[in-house]
Amino acid sequence: MSIAVVEPGALTSVQDVPGRGAWRHVGVPVGGAADAWAARLANRLVGNDEGAAVLEMTLVGPTLRFDAPALVALAGGLHARLGGFSVPRNLSLPVRPGAILEVEGNDGLRGYLAVAGGIDVPDVLGSRATDLRSRFGGHRGRALQAGDRLESGAAPDARRRRWTGTRHAGPIRIVPGPDAEALPVRVLEEAQWAVAPEADRTGIRLDGSRIAAATKEVPSMGLPLGAIQVPGDGRPIVMLADRPVTGGYPVPAVVIGADIGRVAQLRPGDALSFVSVSLEEAREADRQATEELAAIELLGEPDDDELSWVGSLD
Amino acid sequence: MDVADARAAQALAAALRAAAPITGVVPGRASVLVEWDPLTTTADAVRRLIDAALAHPSTAEPVGRERTIPVVYGGERGPDLEDVAARLGMAPEEVVARHAAVELEVLFCGFAPGYAYLGDLPDALRVPRLATPRTRTPAGSVAIADGMTGIYPDDLPGGWPVIGWTPIRLFDPRRNPPAYLLPGDRVRFRAIAAADAHGFAAAPEDW
Repeated sequence: MSIAVVEPGALTSVQDVPGRGAWRHVGVPVGGAADAWAARLANRLVGNDEGAAVLEMTLVGPTLRFDAPALVALAGGLHARLGGFSVPRNLSLPVRPGAILEVEGNDGLRGYLAVAGGIDVPDVLGSRATDLRSRFGGHRGRALQAGDRLESGAAPDARRRRWTGTRHAGPIRIVPGPDAEALPVRVLEEAQWAVAPEADRTGIRLDGSRIAAATKEVPSMGLPLGAIQVPGDGRPIVMLADRPVTGGYPVPAVVIGADIGRVAQLRPGDALSFVSVSLEEAREADRQATEELAAIELLGEPDDDELSWVGSLD
Repeated sequence: MDVADARAAQALAAALRAAAPITGVVPGRASVLVEWDPLTTTADAVRRLIDAALAHPSTAEPVGRERTIPVVYGGERGPDLEDVAARLGMAPEEVVARHAAVELEVLFCGFAPGYAYLGDLPDALRVPRLATPRTRTPAGSVAIADGMTGIYPDDLPGGWPVIGWTPIRLFDPRRNPPAYLLPGDRVRFRAIAAADAHGFAAAPEDW
C-alpha cells in the first residue's frame, strides 16, 4: 500500500524505537523517535510491534494521501483531520483509498503516525530511523518532501483499538548524574525553566537560571538519553534522541526514562520544572509508563459504516 | 563508571557488551556509560557485573589494525597550521614533521559518526581549542586539541584548530563496520602534496 506526501510539514521523518544502538562505539548516535513512548503507543494501536517505523511529525503537517486502505493511529502532541473531519488521537482509524490526512498543531511538539505493518524503509545499521544530520536511514536519509511516496508492510490485523490510559503529568523527574557532586542539582529543582528557541532532536536548551561553577570541561564520556549537560555558559541542555554519543560538559542530572518523551513534546517558550527522585522511584515510574501503554481496549473489525465516517472517497 | 584511561574503558566496554541485561555500553575518554533495562534487572546486579569485569581484566592486547592517513598539511584546507605553529614556537614544517612522526591510537569515538579521538599527542603538540568555534569545519579536516587529534568525517561545527585535510572517507553507513577507524586502531599520518590528493581513493582498500 502506498502513501503520497502532499505537503511535508515542518519536519516529518521516518523514525523507530529504540533507534540505532549497535554502533555507538564508532560514534553513530542512537536517534529514533524523540518521544519514544508516543511512537510505541501509536504502533500498539495498529497492532504493530512497538518498535516499528512510524512518521515523526513536528509542530505542523504533513498532509498525506492514502492510495490504498490502511489502518492508522496518531499519538503524541499533534492533531489530525481525516477527509476534512477532526479525528481523535489514540484510536486506530481505518482509512479508505483516496483519503487525505492533514496533521495540525495541538498541545505538543511532535506527533507520531503509525500505519499497520509499519513504514517500509530499509534497515540501515540496525534501524529504520532517519539520521537527519548524517543523512542516512529512513526515507532516503532525509526529511519527507512533497511528492515522496511511502510503502507500508503487511498489516498484522485489521482490529481497531483505543487507548484508555493516562500519561504522567507534573514536574520532570531527574536522578543524579555523574557530576552531581561537582554541580548543585538543587539549582535545577529550585529554578523555573523555560524551553529556549534552541530546541531540536539533539536537545533542548533551558532558560531560567544559570548553574554556577559549571565552567569546567570533563573528559568526554558517553551521554545517556536525558542527560542534562551544563556547558560553560551555565545554561543546561537536556539531551534527546539525536544527541552525540559522547560529550565533554558536566552532567549533574539525568531525566528519567519515563519522562524524557514528555520533554521531547515541549515547544520553545514552554515552562518546565524538575524534581529529584531516587533510582527506585525512577524504576517504578518506568514500570508505570509501560503499564499505561498497555491500557488498550480492543474495538474489533471495522465495518463499512465506520469506514465511511473516517474516510473520504474524493 | 570512571576508569583509568581510554584503553581501560574499551576493555571494560568489551567485557560488558556481551552481558545479558545490559542494553548499552559506550566507552569514553576515561569512563564507560553502562545502560540497562530497569524492568528486567537492578542497579545492584549491574554493579556486580561491572565489578566482576574489572576484577578479571582481559589480558589480550587490543586487536587494533594499522592505518595510514594521507594528509595535505596547511594551506587553504589546514587554515590553522600557522597559528598552531606560532603558539607552539616552532616552524609549520616542524609541526607537520612531528604530527606525521607519531603513532597514535584510536582512544574512543564520539561527536559524530566515524569521528575518532586519536591520542595521545606529545606535549610539544599540545594546543587548546579555538576561542571561537567554527560553525562549519569541512569533511576531511585534520584537527588537534587537548593532546589529541581528530578527523572530521562530515561537514560539522568544530572547535579544534585545523592543520590539514585528508581525501579519505571515514564513515560509510553502507559498510560493515561503517567507520574506517575503530577503537584500538593504530594510526599514522603521512604528508602528501595537494596535487597528489586526488590519487587516493575516498574508500581505502583496507576498510
